[in-house]
Amino acid sequence: MIRFEGVSRRYGDRAVVDRVTLEVPGGSICVLLGESGSGKSTLMRMVNRLVEPSAGRVLVDGRDVAQAEPEALRRGIGYVIQSVGLFPHWRVAENIATVPRLLGWEAARIAERVDALLALVGLDPARFRDRFPHELSGGQAQRVGLARALAADPPLLLMDEPFSALDPGTRRDLQVELRRIHARTGKTILFVTHDVEEALVLADELAVLEDGRLAARGRPAQVLETGADRTVRRLFGEESLAFHRLGTLPAARLARPEDAEDGLPVLPATASLKQALMLMLEQGTDRLAVPAEAGFPGGTLHWADLVRAA
Amino acid sequence: MRRRWAWLLAQAAAFLLALWAAPRAEGLWRWLFPGIARPVWESQSWFVLLGEHLMLSLGAAAIAGTIGLAAAILATRPGGQRLRPLLDAVFSLAQAIPPVAVIALALPLLGFGAAPTLLALVLYASLPVMRGAVAGLDAVPPAVLDAARGTGMGRAGILARVELPLAMPVIQAGLRVAVVLSIATTAVGAVAGAQCLGTPIVTGLANGNMAWVAQGAVFTAWLALLADRALRLALAR
Repeated sequence: MIRFEGVSRRYGDRAVVDRVTLEVPGGSICVLLGESGSGKSTLMRMVNRLVEPSAGRVLVDGRDVAQAEPEALRRGIGYVIQSVGLFPHWRVAENIATVPRLLGWEAARIAERVDALLALVGLDPARFRDRFPHELSGGQAQRVGLARALAADPPLLLMDEPFSALDPGTRRDLQVELRRIHARTGKTILFVTHDVEEALVLADELAVLEDGRLAARGRPAQVLETGADRTVRRLFGEESLAFHRLGTLPAARLARPEDAEDGLPVLPATASLKQALMLMLEQGTDRLAVPAEAGFPGGTLHWADLVRAA
Repeated sequence: MRRRWAWLLAQAAAFLLALWAAPRAEGLWRWLFPGIARPVWESQSWFVLLGEHLMLSLGAAAIAGTIGLAAAILATRPGGQRLRPLLDAVFSLAQAIPPVAVIALALPLLGFGAAPTLLALVLYASLPVMRGAVAGLDAVPPAVLDAARGTGMGRAGILARVELPLAMPVIQAGLRVAVVLSIATTAVGAVAGAQCLGTPIVTGLANGNMAWVAQGAVFTAWLALLADRALRLALAR
């Protein structure tokens, strides 16, 4: 879907992005993770040509974006930023309708689309469509920002630290919401964050950047494997690396296919080993019952297996 | 709000009534200026002078508004940033020259009448418009501009649909200053022979007739104050 081919961006002598080659498969959430100044936002902004690469090229669906007319390109790519950037003089409905209006949709079709999108991002259309941005909480504003990005149904979304300025609870709600929307719409999402927890919750693919260079990439479980890259260990924290790794591993695979004893705490078959560990700690037990589900016969998860997997 | 509009209308009516009454109030002028033989201004109708005055000052404000806004837009474009100190210097210099000096300097080129006055007023009133518009355009949040570009709006679209509407309150404040300055300053146009509320002042000074000077001065200041009130009210939200 997106291919970065040897992409660099230099400002004077400083390379903010340094020869990055990366492929983002269609339909996946790819998280660009790094500290501030790592070049992750700059890399992302090359996709819709808000930044032009000094070297290399960016392909979207096999086409070099440098060949596309920038405005037309951007109307086909959803864009969400940390500070939301809602137009303060437009109502919520007008904000969401930005791109459809630029594309010249009919009013009736726009109105229908706005209501559908408000519902999709979890806001009641009747209550929110006529509000102004200053009448929204931070979380509501970012939901509207997401709806605006989705308005013309673009196959690709760029999200630059969209939840970083929100309260922890709101942030977790929106992460779950984004996962749900992704499952329903199958968009390709390039998501920039500095928050390792957020990266692990969202990422199908993880790309770790440091000083403009790609330090590691792959599925989260691969990136966090024992013997991970130095940058990855530093970013995730040496002492909590194993804990984060548990979050990337499914619990059901380790469950022993034996009949569970009665009275054991129950862990959903879709849970990660991190959730299993938390449940064990909370319940003070060393075994959990994992009930049967499609493709999984059910079994018991043992503390000893969990520790070995980490 | 409605009561403030009603009050303003009452003030405007009082002003017009005073213009109507001025030539009819010989007794009042004689009592105020006992040493003057002909204290009543009878050369032209006050309403004709008011009309000419408004045409000159509002015309100048409209031209100054257009020039100032265009300069501000240029100065806030990415390519025009380097022009900003130059534009600011040029507009500041233009305002620094007293309008009466501009008129004197322009007389040989433009002749007598409205033209040199218009030039002087435009030079005088462009700076507040440009300053206001630059401040307003600078204050548009960067995140909003980033989002506008990211959603695929073109440059002209961003200017017309995002930047100017968001900057409008500050731009309007600059325009208001330009209009009021222009109305108050138009009176000097009388030295170049432009018909306006300054005409009785200049004629009065030439003839040593303080009654005419006082009447012209009062009506000019009154009009400027009325305009300021009206614009404040119209732009309040």
